Amino acid sequence: MSDTDTTTTRDELTGYENIPVRTRIAEAPRPFLEWATVLIVLIAVEFGTYASLTIATVERAFVGVTALFDILLGFISEGAAEAVVDLQQGVSKFLVGVADAAAALPTLLSREVIPNQGHKLGPNGPWQGTFMGLEPAVAWGLRFTLLVVYALFLSYWVFRGWQVYREHYRQADWTPTDDMVGRLRGHRWGQFGILVLVLYLTMAVFGPALGPTTVEQNIQSSYSYEIEYYNGETGEVESIPVGDANFNSKSKGGGENVGPMSYDNYGRFHPFGTLNNGRDLFTFLMGGARITLIVSGMAIGLATLIAAVLSMISAYYAGTIDLTVLTVADGVVSVPRLLLLIMVSAVFANHWLGGIIDGGFILAMVFAFTTWPFLWRAVRGPALQVAQEEWVDAARSFGQRPRTIMHKHMLPYIVGYLLVYASMSTGGIIIGLSALSFLGNGLGINPPTPAWGRAVSLGQDYVSTASWHISLISGLMIVLLVTGLNAFGDGIRDAIDPETEGTEGEEAAAGGGA
Amino acid sequence: MNRLLYLGKRLLLAVPVFLFGITMSFLIMYRGPIDPVLNILGQDATPADVRQLKIALGIIYPDGTPVPLWSQYFKVVTDLVTLDFGQSWIIQRGTAVTDLILNRMPATLWLGFWSVVIALAFGIPGGLYAGLRANTWRDYITSGGGIIWRAMPNFWLAVMFVGVLSAGGALSFYQDLLIQTDVIGTPDALGNMFGSAHVFAGVPLLEALWIPIPNLENLAIAVKWIFPAALVLGSASMGNEIRIGRTAVLESINSKYVQTAKAKGVSGRRIVTKHVGRNALIPLLPVIMGEFYLLIGGSVLVEKVFSIRGLGNMFFRGMLGPDIPLVMALVFLFIVVNITLNISQDILYTFIDPRITLEDTER
Repeated sequence: MSDTDTTTTRDELTGYENIPVRTRIAEAPRPFLEWATVLIVLIAVEFGTYASLTIATVERAFVGVTALFDILLGFISEGAAEAVVDLQQGVSKFLVGVADAAAALPTLLSREVIPNQGHKLGPNGPWQGTFMGLEPAVAWGLRFTLLVVYALFLSYWVFRGWQVYREHYRQADWTPTDDMVGRLRGHRWGQFGILVLVLYLTMAVFGPALGPTTVEQNIQSSYSYEIEYYNGETGEVESIPVGDANFNSKSKGGGENVGPMSYDNYGRFHPFGTLNNGRDLFTFLMGGARITLIVSGMAIGLATLIAAVLSMISAYYAGTIDLTVLTVADGVVSVPRLLLLIMVSAVFANHWLGGIIDGGFILAMVFAFTTWPFLWRAVRGPALQVAQEEWVDAARSFGQRPRTIMHKHMLPYIVGYLLVYASMSTGGIIIGLSALSFLGNGLGINPPTPAWGRAVSLGQDYVSTASWHISLISGLMIVLLVTGLNAFGDGIRDAIDPETEGTEGEEAAAGGGA
Repeated sequence: MNRLLYLGKRLLLAVPVFLFGITMSFLIMYRGPIDPVLNILGQDATPADVRQLKIALGIIYPDGTPVPLWSQYFKVVTDLVTLDFGQSWIIQRGTAVTDLILNRMPATLWLGFWSVVIALAFGIPGGLYAGLRANTWRDYITSGGGIIWRAMPNFWLAVMFVGVLSAGGALSFYQDLLIQTDVIGTPDALGNMFGSAHVFAGVPLLEALWIPIPNLENLAIAVKWIFPAALVLGSASMGNEIRIGRTAVLESINSKYVQTAKAKGVSGRRIVTKHVGRNALIPLLPVIMGEFYLLIGGSVLVEKVFSIRGLGNMFFRGMLGPDIPLVMALVFLFIVVNITLNISQDILYTFIDPRITLEDTER
């Protein structure tokens, strides 16, 4: 095809031979090997965590997608729909098995290696069951710090991979990416955004190991687990179901309160205090981080994909197609987003489709469906601009297929803008998602799976009491992430194009609202 | 192009947009997995009752055959377009939806009005202030505040405000400040802000006319009562206005025409009002108009937390019912408001910025 012609021309112009990266690495493998060895070690020590999370996410997405097919096929034939359900159940069962097996793999920074749940042996006596007999708070703090340091180092090491590539294997001495990275280096605000993103990703991935206890033990089936504690009255070590311990550790203002950075009566440490039902707020928020990032990630990914495809198609063909997309986009956003979400969420509250990813799947779909018009509007300008460039015209007269033109000549130009607006729209999605969970009544993420919005709503009545921490800390989690996403977007925008600042369409994409 | 012609074209284009929105809502409400009959009658309803209700709701014909979906759709759309909203199914069974909406409208309008005013009153001066003092600590505090203000979820901010302002909170003195008001709930004062004066009493024909006389005490109560809720609802827009305003000021302050004005010796104040401020308004327009869009969705949350008897709160309750005629009527209302605002924004643009032609706004 004509593709090869263009590459040949570029090779001739630049004087580079088109050697595959693999060959270039084989010629001088040392820097690559050094980098890769460290990376493999870094991943291997936490392999179980990554593998189980990835497989579990794939499984949920698979169930969701097949469910959509099932509904569509249900209109046509019952048999086909049933076949889809059979396939879905088989594959899902298999994947869950694999994910469980992966989760059982030992990891370096797990709660088994550095345990923080233990009990005293006497009134002032030493701690038993915790890491090296440390206080639970210290043991938890140690594990938390190590995990964060590990995650930060891992992120640095991934970036380091790009540096190794640039230094040793890249043929070009300079590419525009170098300038972008250079500009980000002096951009403290953007760096703050990246740091926040990495931190929240850490919470989502390592949530089960980060908390002082687990969602399973403390929240979902608290009566299936027992803990041991030192009973000051009897002077003996006794055991109690977690659910009962929770019942006596409630934060309901006044006398009943377990505040941030304190112990309850059972020797359990609560970094953020407890909820009004006695569960650990920190663990609850870590669980919330995971579901929030999965749902908003799915939503923004899908929305960006739709927006990218539609913006290039509408810019390339213009005319009637452009007008049609415009009308559809306006139609989608004509119903205010939160109202549409409430409608869909309420209608599907008791439907099995509303149970996938604890209600998150259908919300992710609605968010994707309502977010792409904003993204499309924001990148339509740049897409129209690039569609009128000479190189697109040249490629067309060359006889290149429209698909190739869009992919090779238009996409690279708009992908930066997409990233900027996508990161800013994600804030709106996260706020909308927590707003639904806040409203409750079957909307949002289904209990007992933790959700940030629900934590705010649980603490609603205690804001002015001693248990102020419930709503305040949960809300600040959202504020920090949304601020970080906006900062990240600002940073990327300034890195791509330092000239423009605050273009139109951005505020529409960034809107918090809910 | 002529403005009128343009308006006509926009209205024509609004028809498919409107139909898209209504169809989407119709499919969710009428084709979604909910059973309004079960919700209205409860579990132990006799088949005869169910049958009768289904006929009354237009789900089946009197002879028992189901009404096809397209025919239901056609009826719903015609009813909505002719403003025949029907009766409520669940919230207040048998009450006309129009009455319910009119009853709840004042609180929402009052809330929306003040949230726009408050956002504008703080946001635009804030943006101008930050822009004119760019890169000083004053700028950093203002624009940093705007950024965080914008990132705060409305519902959370509302919860915090209610907690701090109500009895026992750190700012509970607000309730007794100047005039006694509650923070949550809807005061009677809202409905009695204006008395009527029949100035033409006794004069034939003109007798029916009256002039609203503000009841100052009730007005003050209503304003003070709505202030926290309106501040919350306007928060995101205020943050946006500070941010965009600052950028716009920075852009115009460095432009050639401002330099020229300076060189000519135009006073600093005149430069700000005449050259910087006016140009900074252009990028602010979509933010201000976008505010209305945020208001509609945000009002559900803010009204719920502040227990305001408004449309948003009613929509939420109607959706939980589900009270389908009420929900459809409200959605219809929101879509119409939304489309109207969109069109007026594009037309306003051409008045504010003469460089923008009607062809541009179409894109």
